[in-house]
Amino acid sequence: MSLDPVFMPVRQLAEHVRARRLSPVALSETFLARLEKIGPRYNAVVTVTRERAMAAAQQAEDEIAAGRYRGPLHGIPYGAKDLLATGGGIPTTWGAAPFREQRFSEDATVIRRLEAAGAVLCAKLAMIELAGGMGYRQPLASFTGPCLTPWNREAWSGGSSSGSGAAVSAGLVPFAIGSETWGSILSPGGNCGVAGLRPSYGRVSRHGAMALCWTLDKLGPLALTADDCGLVLEAIAGADPADPTTSPRIFRYESTPVARRFRFGVLAGALDGVSDDMRAAYDRSLEVLRELGSVEDAALPELPWEATTRIILQAEAASAFEDLIESGGIAGLTAPEDHFLPYARDAVLAKDYVKAMRIRSLMAREADRLFERYDVLVAPGRLAVATALDQEFRGGMRGTARDIMGAVGNGAGLPGLIVPNGFGDRGLPTSLQFLGRAWEENTLIAAGRAYQARTDWHTQHPAVEA
Amino acid sequence: MADREAGGAQPPAASPDSAAAEVAALFALVSARYGGRLDARQLEGVRKAIEAIVEQARAVRAVRLGNADEPYPTFRPYRADEAPRP
Repeated sequence: MSLDPVFMPVRQLAEHVRARRLSPVALSETFLARLEKIGPRYNAVVTVTRERAMAAAQQAEDEIAAGRYRGPLHGIPYGAKDLLATGGGIPTTWGAAPFREQRFSEDATVIRRLEAAGAVLCAKLAMIELAGGMGYRQPLASFTGPCLTPWNREAWSGGSSSGSGAAVSAGLVPFAIGSETWGSILSPGGNCGVAGLRPSYGRVSRHGAMALCWTLDKLGPLALTADDCGLVLEAIAGADPADPTTSPRIFRYESTPVARRFRFGVLAGALDGVSDDMRAAYDRSLEVLRELGSVEDAALPELPWEATTRIILQAEAASAFEDLIESGGIAGLTAPEDHFLPYARDAVLAKDYVKAMRIRSLMAREADRLFERYDVLVAPGRLAVATALDQEFRGGMRGTARDIMGAVGNGAGLPGLIVPNGFGDRGLPTSLQFLGRAWEENTLIAAGRAYQARTDWHTQHPAVEA
Repeated sequence: MADREAGGAQPPAASPDSAAAEVAALFALVSARYGGRLDARQLEGVRKAIEAIVEQARAVRAVRLGNADEPYPTFRPYRADEAPRP
């Protein structure tokens, strides 16, 4: 193969595949080999789905040769977080030792939609056990070991969509699917220096995905660029009778750049606790954003944004895994703290959960009102660059730490996007996050695309030896 | 509608003592259910987690809402003949 497809964005790969300059079979061979050889180096892969991938790649090749090109994901390899059900005897482990032999009879809706788009499933990717819902505090919280960022193998990939971030960053797949309840797409996107898109709640069907919190869970793509995230989202979005929370709103990705000025808002409190290196990169990013539009301070009314979202998360997660917790099965999990923290969830009172859900209505209205004045809210992607493997991290979904962007975004079900915006301590990526109005993924992606058109952080890749 | 918008009174601030009493009561509940499975270090971890939960709960309780402020999303009764079909 004369063209090197590794670290090539999906959009470019698709052009070469459509023009038959790149063969889907050869593409899959390339990425399968990298998943098998390089994946273990980062603890990024649970199962390489070679047999299924080669059959799908051959089918794509035959169809394209016959003139039946399905669209930009046709023949493109990808990986899926291992909480998405796959049939055909492929395990779906949820990242947790007690479920390492678990198998489902059919594919999740997202997997089926990607198959319909012609994408080639090459791997089930590593994740934090049970999507982090048991309260983990450090990187060793998966039966496949701590997932490493390809930028520094002594640092964490982020989670809980750990392998989805690491695999894209290391050039093991062109794109991946992750999930987010609170931070699980944006965290690995930030730590691994790739783009990650958390769609609006209800945009993408969760049928066949492990449930952590029914009213908070979302599925979305991680890829090299914001543009690629748009291509993938169009393929996986849409109503699904099997998931009654999905919206009938149709998502069509508007990929053509439109000359426009953005109104960026900086939320009060969004910089609380941000490390110096992340803050410096953010300040540089603001200079770029000012070329794209206005940047103004924004404020939400005083509400317990984090506490409300945490109460909902802890109550629903305790119910989703009631059997595992009550039976004592959590003792089989990898993270020592996951052996006992879930028991504390019995202290969430029903009245407090209902109150949190009532406050949530207020949160959703107040957040939406803010977007009458701003197109997009911006903030540093994370509080700090990737944590060292032997350290606890500061997470938004537990304790009392501030994470206003995560609490508003997930609590109100709003779309979020993270992109790399530099490098900080220990050579690790820094990141920038965008938060948009419900159902306004196109605005969010357009902002990310405009930022990436003026910067080259997304074109820099870790030194990964084949 | 939130009471705040309707001019409703704010609740009296909870005292630290009552928070500690709540943590102690909830910890006793959790300990009674699961304490036999946990060692002293794990129980201490559970107690700290309960402290955080109580702090979150008290923040939530301090928000005044109106009688008609419903949970989100709204529950709907189910009928098979009105449900979406695959």
